Amino acid sequence: MRRKTNIPERKATAGELMIEVKNLSKSFNSRRIIEDISFKVHAGETLGIIGPSGCGKSTILKLLCGLLKPDSGEVIVHSKELGLVFQGSALLNSLTVRENLALALRARKLKRAEEEKIIVEKLKLVGLSDYIYSFPAQLSGGQQKRTSFARAVTNDPKIILYDEPTTGLDPVMSTVIEDYMIDMAKQFIPASIVVTHQFSTWRRTTDRIILLHAGHIQWEGSADEALTSENPYMKQFAHATREGPMLSNGIEV
Amino acid sequence: MTFSSTSKSLAKISLSPLAFVEKQFGQGVELIGQCILLFFQTLYYIIKGEIDWHETFRQSYMIGVKSFVVVSVTALFVGFAMSLQIARELVLFGGDTAIGGVVSLALIREIGPITAGVIVAGRVGSAIAAELTTMMITEQIDALKVMRIDPVQFLVVPRYLAGLMMMPVLSIYAMFIGLLAGIMIAHSAANVPPATFLDSVKQTILDRDFTVHFEKSLLNATIVIIFSCAIGLHTRGGAEDVGLATTRTIVWTMTVIFIVNYIVTSLTYAPR
Repeated sequence: MRRKTNIPERKATAGELMIEVKNLSKSFNSRRIIEDISFKVHAGETLGIIGPSGCGKSTILKLLCGLLKPDSGEVIVHSKELGLVFQGSALLNSLTVRENLALALRARKLKRAEEEKIIVEKLKLVGLSDYIYSFPAQLSGGQQKRTSFARAVTNDPKIILYDEPTTGLDPVMSTVIEDYMIDMAKQFIPASIVVTHQFSTWRRTTDRIILLHAGHIQWEGSADEALTSENPYMKQFAHATREGPMLSNGIEV
Repeated sequence: MTFSSTSKSLAKISLSPLAFVEKQFGQGVELIGQCILLFFQTLYYIIKGEIDWHETFRQSYMIGVKSFVVVSVTALFVGFAMSLQIARELVLFGGDTAIGGVVSLALIREIGPITAGVIVAGRVGSAIAAELTTMMITEQIDALKVMRIDPVQFLVVPRYLAGLMMMPVLSIYAMFIGLLAGIMIAHSAANVPPATFLDSVKQTILDRDFTVHFEKSLLNATIVIIFSCAIGLHTRGGAEDVGLATTRTIVWTMTVIFIVNYIVTSLTYAPR
């Protein structure tokens, strides 16, 4: 993986190429998870990666942020500032909300007053400024997710990755989280990738989606096109039916 | 319904004895390799001076201060039992005045460092392994990496330094509590006055004994912290694996503590 860290950090301009994935493949224990995947994401664009559980969606995110190494292929990330919103929030339980956000600023070695200003500003964005000294265990699931959002954007990243941002949340909180995602896309103009299988999330927050199944991209297009697509994979996924190529003899493949 | 623990146990049983030993040996070699690598990574950050002192002092409180009560109780009763046995035998041969010397030798050379090491391994090592394994499972370690924070610098270095600072303190403390127990037993069971006991201690203990005591406590701290962190940072899976990681930590740290303490003793005190 290449992360072009020598690029001077500035606000990305819409349309600027931020992520390039070329012929990416990854296996675990000789089981091929993703095979020969390629796509690009530009600043100001939100790409949705959808597909059934276990199809390799989260693996792509981990490859993008360097947590996993690809077996073959290339990942080029044109920014060193990258925020990731984890499925389970991944807040450090022994630290307060403030300290969790401060971690993201650690590399910048800011003065405490400067650090405090940024943290308060980001917590205001997600409506959690009253919880600055709370510990994660004292927050609800939705509040933890919002804290995770605030942490992901603490450094005004040019790339934001969302791993199942609304999974496990009630419909109202899902809508709140989706609204934050839309607001962040407008405010920071990042290149965003949303990994999800929640209909409402990919429908509302993405500009373009790719459907993964059995390690391959089976379909690519806009969310509107997805609903009317005749592609057998996309049709089955969008309409949540049993009939289609995603089930074989009643067993998910 | 099947449970994963059951299936894992069955999988172990289904291995042939030779394959089982081979697997265990392989895992042991892998763990030792991970510990050596982690130790040098930790040293690298310490030498570079990239130390979070606030976290180090917080860990010192967790590792050291919170262990004082359990070390006190353990050292007191180990001291009682050992002194009673020694006093009983020495009184038979008229060696009452040597009780202090023999008790203090055992305490400073072996019992003090071992007691503190074992207590810290059980109380702190298992807690560190459980904490880091949980952090791995809940993606907190991944979150640190995404924020370009090395988990070794952020999590291991403060714990290691705290262990190095607190283990000698706990070892010396365990030794003094053991001596106190010795004085009480010598006085009550063998009628040896505390002044005679202490006089015997002074005549027996050498400066080298304190050096070895200190070296052993530093080695024990290294064993407990590095093994527990290495196990924690390399465990994957779910809730069951947290339990397995703590068990593995206790078994490995205690075994290695006993082996290393014996090696140091044999290198220092073996007759030439």
